[in-house]
Parts: sequence; C-alpha cells; structure tokens
Amino acid sequence: MKKILAITFRDLRVRFASFVEWLFFLILPIVFTLVLSGGTGAPADNRVRLVVVDQANTSLSTELITALENSESVRPDLLSLDDAEYQFDSRRVSAMLIIPQGFAREALESGTLTLELRQQPNSLNALVAQRSVQAVISRVGQAVAIARNSLAEAEALRPFETDAARQTYFDDALESAQTLLAEAPDRLTETQGDTPDQIEYDPRANSSAGQLITWVFIPLIGLSELFAYERQKGTLRRILTTPTRKGTYLFGTIFGQVLIALGQMTLLVLFGILVMNLNWGQDVFGLAIMLVAGALAAAALGTMLGTFVKTTGQANGLSIMLGMVMALMGGCWYPLELFPEAVRSMVKVLPTTWAMQGLLDLVLRGQPWTAILPEAGVLLGFAAVFFVIGILRFKYE
Amino acid sequence: MPTILEVKDLVKKYGDFTAVKGISFNIQEGEIFSLLGPNGAGKTTTISVLSTLYAATSGDATIAGHSVSKDPMAVRKVIGVVPQEIALYEDLTARENLNFWGQMYSLSGKALKDRVEEILEQIGLTDKARDKVKTYSGGMKRRVNIGVGLLHKPSLLFMDEPTVGIDPQSRRAILDSVKDLNRQGMTVLYTTHYMEEAAELSNRVGIIDHGELIALGTQKELTRQVGEMETLVLHVDEMQDVQRLAKAVEALEMVRHAEVSDHSVTAIVPEAEEALAPAVTKANELGIKIRSVDIREPNLEAVFLHLTGRALRD
Ligand SMILES: Nc1ncnc2c1ncn2[C@@H]1O[C@H](COP(=O)(O)OP(=O)(O)OP(=O)(O)O)[C@@H](O)[C@H]1O
Ligand SMILES: [Mg+2]
Repeated sequence: MKKILAITFRDLRVRFASFVEWLFFLILPIVFTLVLSGGTGAPADNRVRLVVVDQANTSLSTELITALENSESVRPDLLSLDDAEYQFDSRRVSAMLIIPQGFAREALESGTLTLELRQQPNSLNALVAQRSVQAVISRVGQAVAIARNSLAEAEALRPFETDAARQTYFDDALESAQTLLAEAPDRLTETQGDTPDQIEYDPRANSSAGQLITWVFIPLIGLSELFAYERQKGTLRRILTTPTRKGTYLFGTIFGQVLIALGQMTLLVLFGILVMNLNWGQDVFGLAIMLVAGALAAAALGTMLGTFVKTTGQANGLSIMLGMVMALMGGCWYPLELFPEAVRSMVKVLPTTWAMQGLLDLVLRGQPWTAILPEAGVLLGFAAVFFVIGILRFKYE
Repeated sequence: MPTILEVKDLVKKYGDFTAVKGISFNIQEGEIFSLLGPNGAGKTTTISVLSTLYAATSGDATIAGHSVSKDPMAVRKVIGVVPQEIALYEDLTARENLNFWGQMYSLSGKALKDRVEEILEQIGLTDKARDKVKTYSGGMKRRVNIGVGLLHKPSLLFMDEPTVGIDPQSRRAILDSVKDLNRQGMTVLYTTHYMEEAAELSNRVGIIDHGELIALGTQKELTRQVGEMETLVLHVDEMQDVQRLAKAVEALEMVRHAEVSDHSVTAIVPEAEEALAPAVTKANELGIKIRSVDIREPNLEAVFLHLTGRALRD
C-alpha cells in the first residue's frame, strides 16, 4: 500500500514537473470552455433568433407571435418580407417564419391554416426554431380541437337555436381551452410522442462538459506515454528488480493518473459552477459516478495503447490525436444532434460519446443519478475490456 | 568463504537468438567478480536474468540460497542493481529519485530519510540534491544511478558497465567507490569491456564472448594461459613510418605478433627485455627515432586476443 502511494506520488511529481503541464491541466480547458460557450454571460438571451414575417396582421397572428415570444427557446424578430429574405439568404439567421394572409380564426376552425417555415440546412438552431413553432402551433391547434369537440358534444345534447348562439358557444369554449392550456403549458410538450426528442442545447453547459471530457481524456490516454517512457528509460526494468510486484506497479501508476484526472475534473466542475453559473451540483452522487467511470475508461484506453506504442513520441502523438478525434466525434465540441443519423449511431462505439451524454444528462437535463447508470455502465464496460487487454498484453521487458 | 551466487548452465534466448549459451560460475562472499567482454557478449542479459528481470530459458542461479526463478522476491531483497542505462526520472531531483527508489525497496519513515541523506553524502551530491536529474552531467547521473542500487544495503551488488561514457575523473571516483564498498563487505558482480577496470578491481574475472564464458579465474591464472607473454610498446615521434617499423619488429625471431596503434608499435613477446635491444637496432637501421619504451606484464587484453583472435575493443 505504501508503495502504491509512493508510485502515485511519483506520478504527480513527474506530471507537474514542467509548467507546460499546467497549460494542459487547467489553462487550455478553461480557455476553450469559455470560447466555445461564448463567454460567461450567464443571464444573456441565449434563445435562437427566429425571423417572423407577419403578412396576416390578424389577432390570431399576434397571438402566435406572443406565444413565440414567451417561448424559452426562440426569440421572434418581426421583419418585412424583403429584409427577412435577405437575412435568410445571406445565412444570418437560421430560420424564418412567414405568417401568410388569411391566417385567422376562421381558417383555424376550418382546419385550412398554413404557415411557412424556412430553415437553413444542417442547422441546430433551425431545428430548435422548428420545434418551438410546432409547439406553439399545436398549442393553438389543440385549443381549437377542444373547442370543436365541446361544440359537438353540446350539439348532441341539445341543438343550437341560431348560428350566432352556436358561434358564441364555440368562441367561449375556445377561449377557456386556451386559458387552460396556457396555464398548463408543460403538458403540451409531454404529449407530443410522435415528434423527435426535444433538442436541449446550451452552449455553456455543452462546452463545459465537452471540454472537461476532452482535456481529461487526452492526458489519460497519455498514460501510454508514461509507460513508454518507463520502458525506454529503463525505470520499469529497474522497478522489477526491486521487491515490488508487477500488479503494485501497474495499479499505482494507473491510480495516480486517475487521481490526477479526478482532481482536474473537480477543478473544471468548480469553474463551471462558480464562473459560468452552471448547474453541475444537481446530483453530486451521479456526477461522482460519471467522472470516475469516465476517468477509468480513458485510463484503461491509455493502458491498452501503451502496449502498442514503442516510443514516447509515438505515444504522445497518438494520445493527442486519438483524444481529439474521440472528443470531436463524441459530441464534445459540437452537439451530436448535428450529425447525420448514421454517424450518430456509429459514434456509440466511443467512450467519449457516453461520457458526454451522461454529463449532459446531469448538467443540462438535470436528471437524477439513476438516469446516468446506463452511460456509467457502458463506460465501466469499456474500462474493463481495455484494462484486460492492456494488462494481458503488458510487456515488462 | 561461503558462496553467495551460484550460476548453473544458464541459457537465455531472445526468440531464435541465444544471447547466453549455458554459462556457469560462482561468486564468493566479499569478492569483486568481473564479467569482461566486448559489446553484445551477453553481459547485460546475464545480469538481467540474475536480477530476476528475465526468466532464464534453461538453467538456474541461486543467490544467498534463493532460486532466481522460483523465489524472485527473496532474491530482490538481497541484491542491488546498477543498470547500464541511467534508469532515473529525469524530471525529479536526485533526492526525490532516491526517496522513490528507497520506497520501492520497502524503506520508509526516518530510516528512509536518513539513508537518502547518507547516500547523497556518499555520492557527493548533497549540494545538488535539489536539482533535477536532467540538469546533471553524465558523471553525476551515473553517481545517482549507483546510489539507487545501494539504498537497501544489498549484500550482492550488480554493476553493469557503470563507467560507460563519462570523463576520466568521474570514472576514477566510481572505481574507488566500488573498492570502498567492497572493503565494507559488499560483494560485487561488475561487468565491463575495459580490461584495465577488470584488472584493477577484481579478485576473479570471467571472460565472456558470444554468450559463452571462455575463461574464468584470477588474473594470474588467466594470463598464465597465454603462456606468460609480455607486451613491448615502442613509442615513436610523429611523422615516422610506424608501419615499416612494425613489419621489421614482427620479423624478429622472438616476436609473436606486432601491431600498430597511433605512433607506437605493440609487440607480444615471451621476454620483453630480451626483445628490446634487437628492436631498437632495427629502428636505428630504418632511421626511425624511438622516443620511449613500455614493457607491460601479461594482461587480460592479451588473454582475450589469444582466446578469440580479436581485440577486446572493436
Ligand atoms: N531484448 C532483446 N531482444 C533480442 N535480442 C537482444 C535483446 N537484448 C539483447 N539482445 C542481443 O543479445 C546479445 C547480448 O546482448 P547484451 O545486451 O546482453 O550484451 P552486452 O554484453 O551487455 O553488450 P554491451 O556491452 O553492448 O552492453 C546481443 O547480440 C544483443 O543484440
Ligand atoms: Mg550491456
């Protein structure tokens, strides 16, 4: 046990021998987190801008725009058609909504209502806008459906004497349905089973989680470099001529690096909480599970790679390249939702993908620790496989 | 004197290549034993097997009664190893290195702390103990490398070419410290390809070549094998034709072999004094001026030459 601590302590000393290491340990991760999140500005309006052209100018269109304004994900910006088209064509805005003439209650009742939403291709923001517009419309549409249903029910009980009475009844029913739906807005989102999952994206949370994974994975994969160094220098051979077991050496070395990684992650999480106002602390237990599982998976990968590389140079290049590619493909730099479906299922073979999803579950979606168990389980599975291969293949000579 | 190391028919193969071809020898307690051999002879391989790093392909060795193959942990507690390469952490200081390796040798607490300071004193690096090893000169690194092998006061110390690539002064210091350690009771297995080192240090020498132990014994015993040849060295001035002198000397009846090395002719002869006068005469005849003359007793270099037909140095 004392030896394990001695080896761990040596890891610390060797790792932080040069100032450059601090660059990778804290400075770069923080800089990248800030840059990719667009600054620390916590309460700034992060909603996606949606250009709206109102050609109808009816009470219904105003109602729709108000509903959009109350949305948490889009910020409607009223423009003329020409201005809107110019902005859209020059890709300054990711989506534009045109409310055509005749967008009025009568059309709503007869079910012939149309809206035109133009989206930039492959744009996450456009997707966000589309989702919000759909939610708002369906809320309005649902109100009409409820009013129609209640009108039919009423008619079945007792036919209306005049058309005017019938219209009054419908208007009342619609109004109360709207009020009721407005009071329970959440229920709307929850009942939309046939639409794709709502994309949740917050540049700050994504960047904090993504950069954390990137900058922790790279040095952990770099464990392969430490093994290469020890083999090259002969310190590994020397250790094996002292009364120290192979297992003690391996465990101590890996444990040391994992410990450093956990320290680094804690600092980056604290940075996220204190400076960026992120909600990392919602489920501390879940967070601890995710961080440990992620660190183990990356350290195991480094151990396995260490058995394939010959020199420290190789190990260094490989760990930076692999770490970067895995982080990019795992959605740590850009949200996975931007990737085509096929790629999205392919990148499930990367531990970074699972680590990122698990962390987002916690920091962005505010889920409890039970929700990240699948991700943590997959990461631990990766860790087990990589460790077994790495330890079986480990060359001491 | 009890035997501390017993090597029996030791064979080590790397794949198809046999680096050590069944060697056997013993080392007595209190001895300095040298393995002398050229590059690639199998010295490091032998030490690696004896220090439990590599498993022997066949054969075995016992150290202080423990089998190297069956009880490596017990062996490791008894031996100290000074590897040929500088096996240190360059980014750590000398003291940090000694501390770490001391812990690997199961030292701890005050015993460790005291021992580290003692070693620093011994290798003369107390003042530089806070500097990173990578800032050290080759000789200083070598000294730390040796110090690590001494931490746990081993009863048998393996030293694998500890003087390679350093200045004469550091080399002198290292050779003296080996003799010091031996005087304090440490048994040493020393490998080298410098015959002078083997000659100066060891009680007994094993000559190893191509994985085989081709000769074994005290210096006297070994040199007797070559038939008590002596070496006569004639140093001449620059710009003189040494080649012609060497030819003329080799032509003399009593000279077995003559060789040119810069500005001198080395002749192997049974009696150097006897050959001296005729050699000088030849030089005068050729008009070559001799500046000085050396007569050397039979040496290990001559033994190696005699046994292999090659010079020890490549
Ligand atoms: N790991 C290895 N794999 C394959 N061959 C090896 C290995 N280590 C050494 N050899 C070969 O075994 C032979 C003996 O090598 P060894 O290092 O034991 O020689 P040495 O006497 O220590 O030489 P030197 O004076 O150069 O250190 C050499 O031919 C070398 O090329
Ligand atoms: Mg060697």
